[in-house]
Amino acid sequence: MSPVTQEGGPPPGDDPEESDPGLARERTSLAWTRTAISFAALGGVVLKVNVVTGVIILAIAPLVWELGRIFRGGSPGTRLPVVGGRRLLLITVSIVGVSLLCLLVAILGPAAPGALR
Amino acid sequence: MSRSGRFATWWPGGSAEDEDGTEPDPRFTFANERTFLAWSRTALALVVAGLAIVQLLPPFPGVPAGRHLLGVPLIVLGAVLAIVAYAEWVRNQRALRRGEPLPRSVMPWILAATIAGMAIISAIVLLISALR
Repeated sequence: MSPVTQEGGPPPGDDPEESDPGLARERTSLAWTRTAISFAALGGVVLKVNVVTGVIILAIAPLVWELGRIFRGGSPGTRLPVVGGRRLLLITVSIVGVSLLCLLVAILGPAAPGALR
Repeated sequence: MSRSGRFATWWPGGSAEDEDGTEPDPRFTFANERTFLAWSRTALALVVAGLAIVQLLPPFPGVPAGRHLLGVPLIVLGAVLAIVAYAEWVRNQRALRRGEPLPRSVMPWILAATIAGMAIISAIVLLISALR
C-alpha cells in the first residue's frame, strides 16, 4: 500500500518514474535517437535513387541527433515547451521538405524498376 | 481570432503557449514530445514506403500509372501527418498547461482512412493487372 502524504497530494504510485523522472527524459532522448535513425534510413533509400537528394536527407540525421542532445543537457524545470516547440517545428519542417523532395524524385527521377524483383 | 493572433498560438514562443496556465509535470511534457516524435517516424516511414513503391517496384502490367497511384498518396500523407502531429503537440501542450482534458486526436482516423483507401486502390490495381 502506498502511504498518503500529509499535504493531501496524490500518494506516490507504482510508476518508477515518480521516484525517478529521469526515466522519462531517457525515453524521450531514445525517441530522438530513433527519429534521427529514421531520417538516416530514408536517406539511405533515396541514395539508391538520387545521390544528391539522398545526401541532403542523410545530412539531416545528425542535425536531428543534435536537436535531441540539446535537451539531454537540460535540467528539470526548464521551460521545455518553448524550447521544445521550436525544435519540434524544425522536425515538422524537415519532414515536409523531405517529402516534397521525395515526391520530386518519385515523379521525375529515373525509375529503377525491378530493384526489388 | 485574428490572423496574427492565430499565428501567435502556433508559433512556438507565442503568447498563448507561454503564459497560459502553469508548467505541467515534466513527465507529461516528455510523453507529449515522444508522441510527436513517434508520429514523425510514422510520417517518415510512409514517405519511404511511397518512394520505394514508385522507384523500386517493377511496373504493374497493364497499369502503367499503378506505382504512382500507390506511392504518391503515401508521400503526401507523410507530409500531412507531420504537420498534424505538430498541431496536435501544440494543442496537447496547451491543454496540459491549463489542466484541461486532452483534445481528441484526429490522426488515428486520418491514418486508418488512408490505409483503408490504399488497400482498396492496391486491390484494384492488382486485379486489373492480373486480369489483363
